[in-house]
Amino acid sequence: MESRLSSYVMAALTVGLVALITAVALPLLGLASSALLFLLPVLLASVPGGIGPGLLAAVAGGIAYNFLLLPPRFSLAIHGFDHVISLIVLVTVALVTSSLAMRLKLREQEALDQVADSREAAQLSAILAEGDIAGAPERGVAWLAQLHGHARLLHEGGTEGDAAFTSLDHSAAAWALHNGDMTGHGTSIMPAAEWSFIPLSLRNWANRGLLAIARPEGGGIRSESQLAHLRSLALLVGQACDRAELEQQRQARETMEHGDRLRRALLASLAHDFRTPLTVITGQLATLSAKSPEAREALTAAHRLNRTIEDLLGAAKLEHGALAPSLESLDLVDVVASACDAAARPATIQLDRTIPADLPFVIADPVLLHHILLNLLDNAARHAKARIHISAQVQAQEVLLAITDDGPGIPEDERERLFDQFARAEGSDRTQGSGLGLSIVKGFAEAMGIAGTITAAPDGGACFTLGIPQALPSA
Amino acid sequence: MSNILTIDDEPAIQRLLSAILQRDGHNAIPASTAREALSKLRQSSIDAILLDLGLPDRDGIELIGAIRAISPAPIIVVTARSDIQEKVAALDLGADDYVTKPFDGDELLARLRSALRRTGKPTDESLQHGPIRIDRARHSVSVRGTPVSLTPKEFAILEMLTQAGGRVLTHAALLEHVWGKAHLGDVDYLRVAIRALRLKIEEDPAAPRLIRNEPAIGYRLADQA
Repeated sequence: MESRLSSYVMAALTVGLVALITAVALPLLGLASSALLFLLPVLLASVPGGIGPGLLAAVAGGIAYNFLLLPPRFSLAIHGFDHVISLIVLVTVALVTSSLAMRLKLREQEALDQVADSREAAQLSAILAEGDIAGAPERGVAWLAQLHGHARLLHEGGTEGDAAFTSLDHSAAAWALHNGDMTGHGTSIMPAAEWSFIPLSLRNWANRGLLAIARPEGGGIRSESQLAHLRSLALLVGQACDRAELEQQRQARETMEHGDRLRRALLASLAHDFRTPLTVITGQLATLSAKSPEAREALTAAHRLNRTIEDLLGAAKLEHGALAPSLESLDLVDVVASACDAAARPATIQLDRTIPADLPFVIADPVLLHHILLNLLDNAARHAKARIHISAQVQAQEVLLAITDDGPGIPEDERERLFDQFARAEGSDRTQGSGLGLSIVKGFAEAMGIAGTITAAPDGGACFTLGIPQALPSA
Repeated sequence: MSNILTIDDEPAIQRLLSAILQRDGHNAIPASTAREALSKLRQSSIDAILLDLGLPDRDGIELIGAIRAISPAPIIVVTARSDIQEKVAALDLGADDYVTKPFDGDELLARLRSALRRTGKPTDESLQHGPIRIDRARHSVSVRGTPVSLTPKEFAILEMLTQAGGRVLTHAALLEHVWGKAHLGDVDYLRVAIRALRLKIEEDPAAPRLIRNEPAIGYRLADQA
């Protein structure tokens, strides 16, 4: 207020000074130069003071010029048309000059504001970039709070359950989150709110997070350009949030991969530690069993132990998520033949198979499918009376591989439970087999997208069927 | 009688290997480290090598390369690890066959017989393995005495398997030999050809007895006692 008054006083004083000089030195200067001198106060007043003091200087200068210099001097009357013209020109030039000066001043102010805004953005960027990535968003918001009053970082939950916000604030925040608009104080959406809510990302990335800045403390209203500036700062904070999230994901992945590597190494060394002594046991028993029935019995038990260890290792892989099936197209003739060759069964049980010569290839992991078949054949061998039958047929997009035995079969209400033995193995006391084998079948099959079902064979035995996806015919 | 270098750091396994080898009249020469194995390989005349991949002083796969640099003796990998890639890598780097612990003594001896046979046989005019007889000059094949007509690819596969004489051949080795380096990944080609081949040479193609599959590794001809 005071500075505006002083610029009016300054305008009046400079006009007076010019009037005095020109009045005394008129004979020396002439009318034209004197008139030009009256433009000086207009310029001097309008540049710092704006249009008001400029106008005052222009009007006062015009009057003084007329009164003091234009003939008849010391009267407001004007003689001669040219003098009227020169007075009009003086006032017009003064007015135009002052308005130009005024605009210049506005531009200067804008430029200064922009410089300040850019500097702020640069400082914020620097603050977000230095130090740890995870803490960057909070750091940035704390710095913004120092500059712009209370500031808060709101995540996807918005203001929910936060006592610092009124119900109108809650609505404004929800709107901003949902639509990606700036809302609340200073904006056109719910301007009566106590806070301004500024989305952290551009509109098409709505629903990510908000920067909330409280109404200015002095009671003023945040201008559109201030909000635009805050929006660009909020975008910087948003980018920092993105980086923090990516960093978090990267660290989580790294931790997981490290754990995976450890587990794989542990499983590999466990496998080694089990298999080495078993090799000695089975090897020596095999030599002895030529002469000793007891040794032959022990050898059978050792082979069973080996299968159980394979299952345990498989179960450990399943449980730790260390199973990574490598799916390829396979000929079931291959798969079944190598499983039949490897499976142990009493000589009294006959094993036969029916596989059509034109059976399509299937998609599976060869090692896992081999393990599944060994377990199913082992299971069948333990329950069959005299015969195990393997058959394959096409059904829709799958090849159904069925392993049927002529044993006692499995009651309908126990079939589902049988596959779930893994979950129930604790405390269960099965006399034959740990029950682990079938849960491995289920787990491995599921990992490869193979469905396993148990039904009754026509003669009452059990029938385990695997629905294996067909491979696309190769071009 | 052959001298067999057995490389394994477990004394109990060494004793077992020695007992099994004696059954076929072989002489076991034990080595418990890679260093010892290489020095014995230089000192004595070795006919075949049984190699455990888990040695204390050197990576087993790497040792295969080192052995190949000084000796052409067939190498049979005897491993307790279940890693398929490792077995394939060992075979592709020059090992002749593998058995997995716990192994069957008879199976090990059969592998060894196949491996030793290979060393005595250069490029013969005719090849024979079990009921399969191949006349290379005439490009003709007979199985159980019956002539069989094969496509060039089928012939090439059977010829390679027969020459290997019961040793396992990896998918990559068969594909490279028959289709060329550009088709190393096209295991499907091989499976289709093997199926066609079985239809012509197996008594029951659904239950093949001649061409055996090693899951995820390759194919071999069945052992002939």
